[in-house]
Amino acid sequence: MFRRFFHHIKEGFYGFGRHIGMALSSASAVMITLILIGLFIVLTLNLYAMTSSIEDSITLSALVKDETSLTEEELQSQIEAISGVDYVEYHTKDEEFDYYLDTYNDPDLRSFYETYRDDNPFKNAFIVYARSGEDIQTIKTALEAIDDIDEVYDGGDNTYTLVEILDNVRIAGGTLVAALCILAIYLIYNTIKITIASRSDEIWIMRNVGAKNGYVRAPFLVEGIIIGFIGAIIPMLVIVLGYIYLYSTSGGSLFGAFSLIYPYPFIFYVALTLLGIGVVVGFFGSYISVFKYLRLRR
Amino acid sequence: MIKIENVSKVYKNGTRALDRINLEVQDEEFVYIVGSTGSGKSTLIKILDGEEVPSSGKAIVNGVDVGSLRFSKVPIYRRNVGVVFQDYRLLPRKTVFENVAYALEVVDTPKQVLRQRVREVLKLVDISDKSNAFPDELSGGQQQRVAIARAIANRPKILIADEPTGNLDPRKSDEIISLFEKINAEEHTTILIVTHDVGIVRHHPKRVIMIESGNVAADLPKGAKI
Ligand SMILES: Nc1ncnc2c1ncn2[C@@H]1O[C@H](COP(=O)(O)OP(=O)(O)OP(=O)(O)O)[C@@H](O)[C@H]1O
Ligand SMILES: [Mg+2]
Repeated sequence: MFRRFFHHIKEGFYGFGRHIGMALSSASAVMITLILIGLFIVLTLNLYAMTSSIEDSITLSALVKDETSLTEEELQSQIEAISGVDYVEYHTKDEEFDYYLDTYNDPDLRSFYETYRDDNPFKNAFIVYARSGEDIQTIKTALEAIDDIDEVYDGGDNTYTLVEILDNVRIAGGTLVAALCILAIYLIYNTIKITIASRSDEIWIMRNVGAKNGYVRAPFLVEGIIIGFIGAIIPMLVIVLGYIYLYSTSGGSLFGAFSLIYPYPFIFYVALTLLGIGVVVGFFGSYISVFKYLRLRR
Repeated sequence: MIKIENVSKVYKNGTRALDRINLEVQDEEFVYIVGSTGSGKSTLIKILDGEEVPSSGKAIVNGVDVGSLRFSKVPIYRRNVGVVFQDYRLLPRKTVFENVAYALEVVDTPKQVLRQRVREVLKLVDISDKSNAFPDELSGGQQQRVAIARAIANRPKILIADEPTGNLDPRKSDEIISLFEKINAEEHTTILIVTHDVGIVRHHPKRVIMIESGNVAADLPKGAKI
């Protein structure tokens, strides 16, 4: 059992060694892929962390018309029914007026404005908390469609922009990573194809004397995994050391504004993910090759 | 026992290599299979070792219906059938000992048993003195001995040879056939030898099955006139 296990590992390394040039170039493709995937993961997760605090507080103010046929409760439940709405707060026009006054620290100004209270220009309002930034537009449209709502204000373009950037990073990065994965898989596939061709004698003999199908296939799958594994080592080091360095030199925040995710254990999880992706890519590339070229006829 | 019942083999390109052939070979028999080129001899062997599936009919070997074996079961079945070819197909970078050991390694033979058995078969085929030589340091006859040692290392019940003496001169051919006789006697292995060589059939008389156009044209018992 163990002997067989070590046999496959040994044969896998043997195959790797036989075409060291091919194997190393596939491993470097895996390496480049994984470095980019690592950067991508670290970047998006940090962007998420940054924007999630903003996203959490994404609110809209819906001002209610003075003469309304609906009660406050009816209106509130209507708003709560809009999809994407997290929760709703009702502020009376008096409360709104108070909020406004609170923005002035100067007592003279306060008492000046206080004279307007009887002629309060504010309106009763619902403060609508969206579940995520992506929902703001649709919620806004839905609010505006309600008859008794006069006007709707949102947090402005900044939130949109951030959400949009995040989306774009995700799409562009995802596409790039997928393309690189496919390239890495393709290179591994080719490497294993050559290994299979160069070992056709052994394969023939194994089949001839009755080695099991799995036994014949295993060394090639192992070789693919080895390529993926070796390709993952440098990216893991680069990402872990790079991030720890960045975190410590920047004091944990970029441009003094954006705080970075604390590196422990975060960056080790990222490194393990890279190792996992490397191994899966290696396995997958060799798997396709084995099932295409190692035609185990009967 | 080998039992071929009404077996036909039509290849994908339409060639009918075997045409409702019937055949029976008992355990420990020694049989020659002769016939002109393209008559279907190699096809018959491929059906026996599970490489090809009959288009119709049944090939039953030691009670196993070879044609209906599942793909994953073929390797285990094949351990019962050793096959030797005209070209020896040894691994050039392995020594004689390693070449034979390889056949046992890949079927998970324990190390101790393996060494013992390799020595035993190398002695049986009389090539022990070349244990550490590489294939290209051996003559054709010696290489064929190694190939035979490899084929019987795992103690198959049946040993099939497709023109094993095709590349050898008469004297070497004679020695190889004597070796098959020895294996037949000592290891109790059923032997099937495909050959074109009338000389060896005369020198080592056995049952002869003659195949023509995918069928048995004659089945002559040992000692019959050819
Ligand atoms: N894989 C294949 N696909 C198509 N036709 C084949 C295949 N193998 C063999 N044949 C054909 O089947 C027929 C029988 O071939 P086979 O190899 O069994 O003959 P044989 O008796 O071994 O001949 P030889 O003495 O020349 O080795 C021939 O006409 C051959 O061309
Ligand atoms: Mg033939």
